Amino acid sequence: MSEELRVAVDRRNTGAVLYTKGYINNVGGEEIANRAYELMDGGVRTLLLNLRETKIVNSIGISILIEIIEKMMEKGGKIAFCCLTPVIHKTFQIMGLANYASIYPDEETASRELDLTT
Amino acid sequence: MTDTAERQMELTLPMVEDIEIAAARAAGNLAREVGMSNERIDEMTHAIIEACINAREHSGCADKRMYLRFVGTSEGSGNPRLDIWITDHGRGFDPQQARSRRQQLGPAHKRGWGLQIIEAHMDEVDITTSPEGTTIHMVKLEKKS
Repeated sequence: MSEELRVAVDRRNTGAVLYTKGYINNVGGEEIANRAYELMDGGVRTLLLNLRETKIVNSIGISILIEIIEKMMEKGGKIAFCCLTPVIHKTFQIMGLANYASIYPDEETASRELDLTT
Repeated sequence: MTDTAERQMELTLPMVEDIEIAAARAAGNLAREVGMSNERIDEMTHAIIEACINAREHSGCADKRMYLRFVGTSEGSGNPRLDIWITDHGRGFDPQQARSRRQQLGPAHKRGWGLQIIEAHMDEVDITTSPEGTTIHMVKLEKKS
């Protein structure tokens, strides 16, 4: 069975927003990583991941998200998340992801705080 | 005296990519039948996913199958409960060692969080493991007593 993750990118003035749809497992995590690394190679240093249409994650997928955060931190940039379900938020906290990335309740708040205007 | 409704399901699933989603969906459907809330089902879903991934990735079982049993109950007063057993016929593991390894590695290390996630999302977790296999029994309650 396939639970393919889809990722859409919206470039903003100073960064980008990645919209995910579907299950963030190892394959989904790699898909997000590929898109994030392309953006980072293109000079993006502020990245917001909007997980509004992701309802399920697993620990392998989250471990890949942590790798993306580490790579962005090495480049002096930052990654943030918004629109998490309560259980995904809790899982991020368990795995320590919340220690390295900001988490916002909605995209409007995140965009304002990160200066990600259209 | 209260009426008690009970639903049961048993599944044998191949250890293939994303099979954990099928297991979680089946358990979620049964949990809904006994009146569990979406929030509790969501937590349970993530625990089942991690338990199935652990079995698939680490059990080393020859038959490449996992055996699941779900029992959902709802008392007349309304307190849904789901018992979940996930069994593999693999080599077993040391749960205490798995937990301490996680603590030694610290937050910077990224893998090996499955057991912690399971314990955080479920109300009761009991692991029986030996060189003949492992069964993890997890309980999700609508309301903690």
